[in-house]
Amino acid sequence: MSDLPVIEPSAEAGLVPTTAPGQSVRRLRLDDPALLPGQTFEIVTDRIAAIPLRQKPFLWWWIGMILVVPWVGGLMTGIARVFISGPGVYGLNWPAMWGYDIIDYVWWIGIGCGAAFISALFYILGADWRAGIGRIAETVAVLSAATSGIFPIIHLGRPWLFYWLYPYPNMQGYWPNWRSPLLWDFWGIQSFLVVTACFWFLSMMPDFAALRDRARTKPRAMVYGVLALGFRGSGRQWRHHRAVCGALAIVVLIAACDTHSIAALDFAGAATVGWHTTQMPPYFLFGAVLSGAAMILLVGLPLRRLLRFGDMITGRHVDMLCRILLTSSLFITYSYALEAFMSWYSGDPAERTMFVHRVFGAEEGYSVWYVYWGTILFNCVFPQIFWLRPARMIQPIVWFVSLCVLVGMWMDPYKLIAESLERTRLPSAWGSFHGSWWDWLTLIGSVGFFFFLLLLAVRLLPMVGIHNIRRLIAGRVR
Amino acid sequence: MPSVGDTAFRAPGRQWRSLAELERDPAFLDRAAQEFPILRDALSEPHKRRHVLRLIAASLAMGGLAGCYSGEPSGVLIPEVRFPPEIVAGLPNHYATAHVLSGYALGTVVTHQMGRPIKVEGNPNHPSSLGATDPYAQAEVLGFYDPDRAMDITRAGTPASVQTLLAALVSVQGVAAATRGAGLRILTGDTSSPTLARLMGRVLAAYPEARWHVWEPVNRDRAMRGAVLAYGQPVETVARLENADVILGLDSDLLGGVPGWVRYARDFASRRNPVRTQAMSRVYAAEASPTLLGSVADHRFVTGAQELDAVVVALGHSLLQGAPATLPGVPAWLAPVVADLKAHRGRAFIHAGPALSAEGHALVHAMNEALGGRGSTYELVEPVLDQPAASRAESIAALAEDMHAGRVTTLVMIDTNPVFTAPGTLGFADALARVPLSIALSKWPDETGRLATWSVPMAHPWETWSDARGHDGTVTIMQPMALPLYGGLSATELVGRLLGAEGETPRAMVQATWRDQLGGGGGDFDAAWHQALAKGVVPGSASAKATASLRDSAATLSPPPSPPGLHILFRPDPRLWDGRFASNPWLQELPDPLTKLTWDNPLLVSPDLAGQMGLRNGDKVNLRTGAGAISLPIWVHPGQARDTVLAWLGGGRRTAGGVGTDNGWDVYPLTGADGLAVMEPTGNQVELASTIHHNVIVFPPGSELDKIIKHATLDVFQQNPAFAKEPEKPEIYHRKPADPTAWAMTVDLNRCIGCNACVIACQAENNVPTVGKEQVLMEREMHWLRIDRYYEGTPDAPDAFFQPMLCMHCEKAPCELVCPPGATVHDSEGLNLMVYNRCIGTRFCSNNCPYKVRRFNFYPYAYRMNRPAVSWNNNVTMRSGGVMEKCTYCVQRIWSARIIADQANIPDGTIEVRTACQAACPTQVFTFGDQNNPGSDVHARKQSPLDYALLEDQHTHPRTTYEALVRNPNPAISKESA
Repeated sequence: MSDLPVIEPSAEAGLVPTTAPGQSVRRLRLDDPALLPGQTFEIVTDRIAAIPLRQKPFLWWWIGMILVVPWVGGLMTGIARVFISGPGVYGLNWPAMWGYDIIDYVWWIGIGCGAAFISALFYILGADWRAGIGRIAETVAVLSAATSGIFPIIHLGRPWLFYWLYPYPNMQGYWPNWRSPLLWDFWGIQSFLVVTACFWFLSMMPDFAALRDRARTKPRAMVYGVLALGFRGSGRQWRHHRAVCGALAIVVLIAACDTHSIAALDFAGAATVGWHTTQMPPYFLFGAVLSGAAMILLVGLPLRRLLRFGDMITGRHVDMLCRILLTSSLFITYSYALEAFMSWYSGDPAERTMFVHRVFGAEEGYSVWYVYWGTILFNCVFPQIFWLRPARMIQPIVWFVSLCVLVGMWMDPYKLIAESLERTRLPSAWGSFHGSWWDWLTLIGSVGFFFFLLLLAVRLLPMVGIHNIRRLIAGRVR
Repeated sequence: MPSVGDTAFRAPGRQWRSLAELERDPAFLDRAAQEFPILRDALSEPHKRRHVLRLIAASLAMGGLAGCYSGEPSGVLIPEVRFPPEIVAGLPNHYATAHVLSGYALGTVVTHQMGRPIKVEGNPNHPSSLGATDPYAQAEVLGFYDPDRAMDITRAGTPASVQTLLAALVSVQGVAAATRGAGLRILTGDTSSPTLARLMGRVLAAYPEARWHVWEPVNRDRAMRGAVLAYGQPVETVARLENADVILGLDSDLLGGVPGWVRYARDFASRRNPVRTQAMSRVYAAEASPTLLGSVADHRFVTGAQELDAVVVALGHSLLQGAPATLPGVPAWLAPVVADLKAHRGRAFIHAGPALSAEGHALVHAMNEALGGRGSTYELVEPVLDQPAASRAESIAALAEDMHAGRVTTLVMIDTNPVFTAPGTLGFADALARVPLSIALSKWPDETGRLATWSVPMAHPWETWSDARGHDGTVTIMQPMALPLYGGLSATELVGRLLGAEGETPRAMVQATWRDQLGGGGGDFDAAWHQALAKGVVPGSASAKATASLRDSAATLSPPPSPPGLHILFRPDPRLWDGRFASNPWLQELPDPLTKLTWDNPLLVSPDLAGQMGLRNGDKVNLRTGAGAISLPIWVHPGQARDTVLAWLGGGRRTAGGVGTDNGWDVYPLTGADGLAVMEPTGNQVELASTIHHNVIVFPPGSELDKIIKHATLDVFQQNPAFAKEPEKPEIYHRKPADPTAWAMTVDLNRCIGCNACVIACQAENNVPTVGKEQVLMEREMHWLRIDRYYEGTPDAPDAFFQPMLCMHCEKAPCELVCPPGATVHDSEGLNLMVYNRCIGTRFCSNNCPYKVRRFNFYPYAYRMNRPAVSWNNNVTMRSGGVMEKCTYCVQRIWSARIIADQANIPDGTIEVRTACQAACPTQVFTFGDQNNPGSDVHARKQSPLDYALLEDQHTHPRTTYEALVRNPNPAISKESA
């Protein structure tokens, strides 16, 4: 990162725009640079800042809101219902004590960790394409983590007592059990959320300053002014900002790895059939990167068009993300293969029985095999199309594969959690798990909630890092 | 006009604010109605009124029980402010009584807390119990407090006052006296009560034209007729299984159903663990549908109805006439069985179930005599029941015929529900409509009470005086131990009223029966009476040994051959008996030993037949017999004969309160015909709630089941007694709790017969809620102790294994590790404790439990039960919704024992604690205690070579271990020939 100079971003840099704003939505090309030519500091700042500073939101924004708000209502109803009636409203049962609650949690936190991992890693590596997509990745990370945070609470039998997981001073002689992976997980989610949110916020700080300076109304100037925390663009401030962001990126990278590893330890740390394997943490991390990349693409491709960021999010970005997606898909395929191998190699009849159930499970009125094969199809097979370079540039294909990967990455914890529990060590306790309507409502509601937050972010925040792009321009100028 | 002091109706079920209200002073009632118009409206409508009473049932129970066991109270009742000296808060009181089922008593001891019955245990003094109980006796607590119990006198469906009932009885008595009882019929269930028999004798003497009919849907008519055929008089067989080296059961209910089975199970089990017995018994069972005896037998032969006829005949030929047992049409296994029986002369016993024909029973008597078992493996005693000679089926048929013909003017039905249980051929409901005056006395509102002119609540046996006899005739005098919750007459009172004996209290009537016997020979009656009450048995009251000798003709009888076709077998529901326990949610939700079905009674069909007809579990079929036709679902039952379907009596109650109504299917309309049925698929499906939540698995021999149920034959055991042991493996982390006391349990698989007594005992002791059929379908049942059933072999004739499964109290408990708030922790004595208050419901503990013994309150199930607050065990915490729970080794019992030992200065190492399952178990499967105490039973059991830890490879070091199962098959019979 030292090759990028610390420069004073300024409108007086003397650069002349060669392309007019608004004409930048274009096809992706493999030889695209990370930033199409013709950008100046001013143009970039104006274009990106113009979106949150618009007087009225876009029409598509309203349409999106109308689509997602009912699902937010659904989520709230689901949460209220479980608080009132208890976890019995879910499809949970005696062998399968964890169901959609933990599946959804693992799914969301995986997306969050993956997106944060991609953003932080390539920030540290100083990849040029990270500038255009980093903000979206961090936003996805923070919002996914926030969404995932709902589930550990509502999954509790007595959710109002969740605070007992804090070692707070009390007179009941109460102290949490530090040996429980679930407790580490509880801390993991929180630290991840805090660290990622800090990283996200700090990287936005100079942009807030730009928004403050361009705001045409007093209230907006005040709000963005407060958010900018007095950032004025002095060299000293930039230096500090850069140092903190760099340090935080390292912390975020670690947090992303360890948060999902800890989520994996909820399973690896249990003696349960199908869970008790040391490959869980890396396996979860591979899945996280896979689903993180997929979610960045799923969100980034439409935003690129809708916000006309085609010259800042280019073929290079999509190419890179597709490569990450393909790579992590290969990794997770290895994990699946290892899982299959280990269930046989362990020699444990219970492991084998469970695995056979997972892969071929079909009994009277209840089949599960399609979840496993869905996972394989979506997570392992579909991404292989990205070996073909032209396929990475066809937006419908990229978007569809990303969507499939996200579905597949939901099925992944489903097969891991629900289906392992269906085949316990004692055949007398075998059972079958069925999600209830409330499970589905909460799941779809959480998706609605995520996109609701995302739409709010799109409306209020610069979705491409202004200073990151300007840094690219500055790099090119030199 | 009864006064305030009238015995029967001074029940707290009638709450009153003043004497004026109690006396039904019209002026007062008007005033009360003005003051509480809602109450007036509610009380004027019978259904609403019942609802109101149900709502306040808990407070009524409070008021009623506070001063219980005052025996014969008099005067105005005031709740106790100071308790009698024998009632101490926190300490239990125990009262001996008996649980009477179909006439036979099982001696019990009821534990009270602050005057409230909360738990039933067996009476060690009673020969039918020896301290153990069956599930029905265990569940009696819930039945006693049942808010659906009968509490209103009704005439033609509308509430009536006590006075009008008593006036009606007076007029019945007057008419009977005038007409010598013409048209007066009394119908009872099976009863062995000497007092009731004495009173009925007086009734029949006073009204010679009156008749006493007996109807019991689960009866032993054929066995008794067989005894008459064999001996010329009714005699009862009392088995002595502890002496039997070889047992052959023919469709036998010896370990579940036969009177005295709780005792028999104990005797049977005493010969089943090769470590504990010198000579293991060998058990054969030939049966069409699996019984408990067949499930634990060394050889179980699936024998259809026709084949069973052939087997009985061939057995008779070979045992009585020395013919070879290898006739054509007789299965190959019979010859070695006969040889085995003959080789154990005087030590062999053949038992036939109630479905076998009378001739078959007579033949079995002859065979048992020929085998020389009388006096050794069994005794014949004088009959226990009243009216022993009468055929129940003929008795009710005669009654129904008279009713149809209009010859019955007054019908008194005592503790029987003929409208529901009478054979379908009789049309009893229609017949009842032709009886001008009918009186039904019953503990629960039932189908009969609904159609009878008068429906009268019956006092629970714990609320009145009575007596009853055990399977060998031993008498228990049953004392009231609580004031009537909902009012009600006892059977003796009702019969007494028919005699015009208003003044006699039930106590006086029972005492009158026993005055001579107990006070005879110049003894002190009061002392003997109190002794009998305290011990729960009347000494020396067992039936005399029958002296009758076998008729020669018995050996030449031959059972009538069964016609070809699909045979339908009726057996009592393993949960509801004949339907009388329908209102008891514990029993409704009790998994059947083999199918593990709850709440329903589908038709059991063999896998072969089901496959042929394309039927799967839950598919509905139309079933037709000579008596009637119904539509009900089927359940595929491994090990059932192809030509037999099994129907459980007792389901499908139409009037049985909120819990009992409309669960299952009423099969009584099919009864009373020739035993053949026609079955047709309907294409419809219903969901059936089994606690086995997956397809029925039949493991092949040598599968991973061998790790779970370790089992071997006696030969293998003799060569390698420690066959179940696994080599010890080194471990790094294993710190045993350091305390000198180490609570531990062993479970002897050799003894478990799957009878479920422990399951209900645990439920009663530990306030384990029921969840209802929908929640069982969602796999959310709550039993802390379940009995796992595994099959091995082929679906046509699998071996069945039972394995009681409860918390293992692992020394390295996986659950404790993963609980974030530390709600499940270990104590220094090795108990794995559950701190309910601390549980926030992450459920990780259950996921991590290899044994899956933890249960979660997905909803606040305990609070959803319609059950008065006083009926819960006050020593055990109630669990709220969202909280995990599991077996605690009855920690409350441990601490009660320890506190008492502390006060008495008994050293800690020697206190004796019995868990609820252990106390209830008829076969003493469970041994519990301090395994560090070398003198303790559990210490001795842990040294057994058979002792093994379940899922030992998980290194959980469970404190509960199992004794591996050893079976004693006949080497001369190979698997194939069976």
